[in-house]
Amino acid sequence: MKLEWSSALLLDDTGAIPAAQLVEQSGLSEGELRVLVDCGALAPRDVGATTWTFSAHCIVTARTARRLRDDFAIDDMHALAVMLRFSQRIDDLEREFRRLRALL
Amino acid sequence: MKYKDYYALLGVDRTANAADIKSAYRKLARKYHPDVSKEKDAEEKFKEVAEAYETLKDAEKRAAYDQLGRHAPGDEFRPPPDWQQSFGETQFSFDDLDLADLFANLRGGPRGGRASTAPRPGQDFEAAVRLTFEQAFSGAEIELDMAMPERGDDGFLRRVPRKVRVRVPKGVTDGQKLRVPGKGAKGAHGGRDGDLYLDIEVQTHPLYRAEGLDLYMELPLAPWEAVLGATVELPTPAGRISLKVPAGTRAGQKLRVGGRGLSRPDGSAGNLYAVAQIVVPTVADERQRALFGQLRDASTFDPRAHMVD
Repeated sequence: MKLEWSSALLLDDTGAIPAAQLVEQSGLSEGELRVLVDCGALAPRDVGATTWTFSAHCIVTARTARRLRDDFAIDDMHALAVMLRFSQRIDDLEREFRRLRALL
Repeated sequence: MKYKDYYALLGVDRTANAADIKSAYRKLARKYHPDVSKEKDAEEKFKEVAEAYETLKDAEKRAAYDQLGRHAPGDEFRPPPDWQQSFGETQFSFDDLDLADLFANLRGGPRGGRASTAPRPGQDFEAAVRLTFEQAFSGAEIELDMAMPERGDDGFLRRVPRKVRVRVPKGVTDGQKLRVPGKGAKGAHGGRDGDLYLDIEVQTHPLYRAEGLDLYMELPLAPWEAVLGATVELPTPAGRISLKVPAGTRAGQKLRVGGRGLSRPDGSAGNLYAVAQIVVPTVADERQRALFGQLRDASTFDPRAHMVD
C-alpha cells in the first residue's frame, strides 16, 4: 500500500484554535481549562471574548497539564497551575541557558 | 510473551497494600516523569513504572497479574491454561501480545470494558525527531517507524508496526512541537483517530545558531578589514553572498542581512546576523612586524582610554 505524506503543523503562536479544540486535543475538561486560565497558566487571545481562542502553542501546555493531572493523580487544578508555571519557567530558563552557552 | 515483574519495577513487596503501591508509584513518578525529570532514560523508566502501576492499582487486574505466576524478568512465559477463562472475555491468541497489551485489554475490569460501543478517540503518540540544521532550514520529509495499538480480528489491542511519512515545514527550531493530525492510533466505533506529536531537536551547526527565526554567525575579520572596511564573501544557508563590512567595524558588532534567517511557510522570515570578530594574525614575518610597528608609532588610538582617571 502506498503511504501518503502528512503535513505536520507548527504548534506556535501564529496558529489559533478554539477552546473546544483545545479541550478535545488536550483531554482536559472545559472546567479544568477555565481554572487554568483563571490561574494564568493558559492565556486566551482575548479573555473578554464570548468564545475563547488560544494560540496553537497552548496545546503543548494543556497536554502537559493533562499528563501531570493523570500521572500524578492531581485533583487540585490550582496546584496543577502552579506546577505548570514552574515547568514553563524552567523551560524558559533552560532555553536561555542554551542560548547563552551557544554564545560562549 | 516476556515477563515483567511489576512489583520489582515499583520496588514494593508482592504483599504491598494499595496505599504502599500508590506511594511507591508517586515517588518514582516524581523521579522519572518526563515533564519534571532530566534523568537519562527518564521517559523509558517512567513508562515501565506507569505500566506497572496501571495494572497493580486495579484490584482485579492485580489479581489477574498475580495469577500469571512468578517468572524472572525477561523470561518468555505463557499464562496458565485457566487464566484466559478466568480473566478474558473472549478467546484470543497470546501471539504478538505483550504484557502491557494484555492488561490494556482488561480495561475497566476483566469482563466490562470491551463491550462498550461508544465512540472512543484513538490514542495520541509522541515521537522525538532529530533534524539537521539544513533540514530545519529547508523543511524535510521524514519517515517514522511507530508501534501503534490496533484491534485485531479477535477484538484485542496489539501493537503493530506502522510507518508514518511526515512533511516537516521549513523554519522549525530546536525544542518546537509539531502536530500531525490523525496519525496516532485509530479511533474505535467512529471516534476520531489520535494525533501524532513530534518533539523537534535540531542538531547544532558549526556556523549558524538559531534564535527564533533569526540566525547568528561569527564573522572573523582581519584588523585592517575592520578598520578600512571590506567586502567579504559570506556563506549563508541559502547560498553565498557578498557582505559589505563598513569601515570602523568593532568586535561584537552585528551586521544584519535582512531575510536570510529561517523562514516559515506563512511567509514570516528572520534575519541573519554576522557578529564581527577581530582576528589577529598569529604569525607575522619581519616585514609585517615592521608595518605594525609603523602603525603603532603613527596611531594615537588608545583602546584603554576609558580606564584612565
